[in-house]
Formats: sequence, structure tokens, C-alpha cells
Amino acid sequence: MGKVVYAAAMSHVLYPDYYGKNVGPHGRRMVEDLIAVVREMGCRMLAARPDALVVIADDHLNVFSFDAIPAMCVRIGRSVQRMVQDGAIEFDQALDGLPERYPLHEDLANRVLEQGIESGFDFAASWSAPLDHAFLSPVSTLCGASPVPPLVPFWVNCFVAPQPTARRCFAAGRHIARVVAEGPWRVAVIATGGLSHFPALSLARVGTSDVQFDRRLVQLMEAGDHEPLCALTMKDLDESGSHEFLNWMVLIGAVSPAGARVRFFGEMGRVDLAAVEWVVA
Amino acid sequence: MSRYEVNVLLYRLKKDPAFRTSFRADARAALAAAELTEEEREAFVRWDARRLNELGGSLHLLISIPGLASH
Repeated sequence: MGKVVYAAAMSHVLYPDYYGKNVGPHGRRMVEDLIAVVREMGCRMLAARPDALVVIADDHLNVFSFDAIPAMCVRIGRSVQRMVQDGAIEFDQALDGLPERYPLHEDLANRVLEQGIESGFDFAASWSAPLDHAFLSPVSTLCGASPVPPLVPFWVNCFVAPQPTARRCFAAGRHIARVVAEGPWRVAVIATGGLSHFPALSLARVGTSDVQFDRRLVQLMEAGDHEPLCALTMKDLDESGSHEFLNWMVLIGAVSPAGARVRFFGEMGRVDLAAVEWVVA
Repeated sequence: MSRYEVNVLLYRLKKDPAFRTSFRADARAALAAAELTEEEREAFVRWDARRLNELGGSLHLLISIPGLASH
């Protein structure tokens, strides 16, 4: 019988130069502190000896275009490439030098997709979507010089209305947990992004975050009080700038009713940085 | 407001270096075939990222177009 052996969520711009440039020395120091915490978390993740690593993250209109934006998408196939783009934004330039290709856990990805369709989740499938910083910045920080476990990338549409609901994301996480439980593998699951930044996706409000909103999210996660999280509306998440909490909702569904252990919470002004683990063993 | 058309153009600017070069050389000519309102067209021509964002342009596209990104 399979098992979720590690679960965590974390901010995914783990790039000191970006915050050094856009926020200043205190932004750089804060993300350096976060990176150190994520590295420690990675040691715990790898010590759990996962056969696969499910990564729940979002697209920044790097992969999907306005021709079609899947609400949720499973990357299938044997391997996945790192996104390469000339003139990429700074935090995607941070991927330069990482391996160009990563193995996928083909069997688990197929089960998540196929059993999802059978049980009412109309997931999209991609055979070619590459991975941007939302996936590879946390994965590379967690794994360091160690081999990256075979991945199951899972996209959630966090930014292009209409997004899936928080409750639906939670339900998708419950589905992932069922698939894992019915399989033979030890599985690590991480979600990435956030917390609050880019409120209302307004260029005029870049540089601000909603600390009160994020503190409430953290309290509810610590308490394992998941119903109020499922009841969050897209208006709540949009106005606060916590769009990427939808990724976290999938993970919370996968580990519910476990409560969270906050490993890092940093109020930078531009963004609230966070790293959280759930006790699943 | 033609949100789709604005974002398709922003996406092309991000992903298509040849289109980006022609836009930077002569924005009005590069947009000649685009189905935009006059307000949208003028915002592109003078590269007013905030206005494009207010008109429905994706923040994530506006902050990631090489050479034109706004933070």
C-alpha cells in the first residue's frame, strides 16, 4: 500500500538576486534565510526515500497561452524538460545551469490522470509542457546535489479567470491521496507559490502584500481547520494576492486532516514568503 | 474591451522575437492587423503597461516580455 511520506509547501521564487534588485538588502537576506530552511526541508524529504515527487504549481503564461488554459493539468510521459526562453524574467534565468531534463514517474502520473477522469475530474493532460521556476526552483533547492525523484508535475490555473475553486482544488488533492494510497509507492507531495503578492494582479499594486490574510491562512493550516480554507473565494484570493494558495489547497486536500508546521514566515512587504510542512508519517 | 486580443498580442511579444523586433521598430505597423479598440492600440503604441493591465492585460505577461517588462 502506498503512502504520502512527505508533504510541504513553499514560496517558489527562491532567487536572492531578484529580491535584492526589486526590494533591497533585506529582501535578499530574507529569501536567503528561506532557502536555507527549504534545504533543511529537502533533507527531510529525501530521508523519507520517496519513489516519486508530486509537484503542484501554476503556470505564469510560460507554457499555456490564451488559446487554452487548463483548470488542472497532469504532465505525463517519460521525462520533462526545463523551460528555456531567451530573455526570460530574472527568476526563470535562475534555472540556467540546472539539468535540461528530468525523469517523470510515468505510472503514478498516468494513474492520477486516468483515475481522475474515471472519478469525475476532467484533468487536462500534457505530453510536452516544460517546467518553469514554479516547479524547478523549489525542486532544485530541496534536492541540492542529490538526484531528483521522478516527478509528477501538476498544474493549477491560479491566474486566468475563471480559476478552479479552492474547494475543487482540495477535492483534487483528496483524489491524489486516494491514488497514492492504492498504489505501491512512497510519494512526496509539494505545492509551491505565494503567499500574498501581486494583489488583484494589478501592476499598480505590485510591491504590496496582505499580511493579515496570510496570517489567517497560516493559523487555519496549523489548526488543520480546512473547511474555512475550502470556503475561500477567488475574490478573497485575488484581492489579497494569494492566488497561488490554490496550489496549496490541492496539497492540503492530499494531507487533510493533518495540521501544518510552519518552518518559515517572512513579511517582506512585496511578498509574504513561507515554507510549511505537514506531519504525515 | 477585447481582453483576448490584448493578451494574445502580449503573449506574442513575450514568445515571438521577430514580432517583438518589429513592434519595437514600428509598433503601430506591427499592430495594424490586430483587432483592438483605439484605446488599446494607443496603450500598446506608447507602451503604457499600467494602462494595458487596466484594460485586461495579464500582469504576468507584462512583467515578463524581454526588453519591455515592467515591474
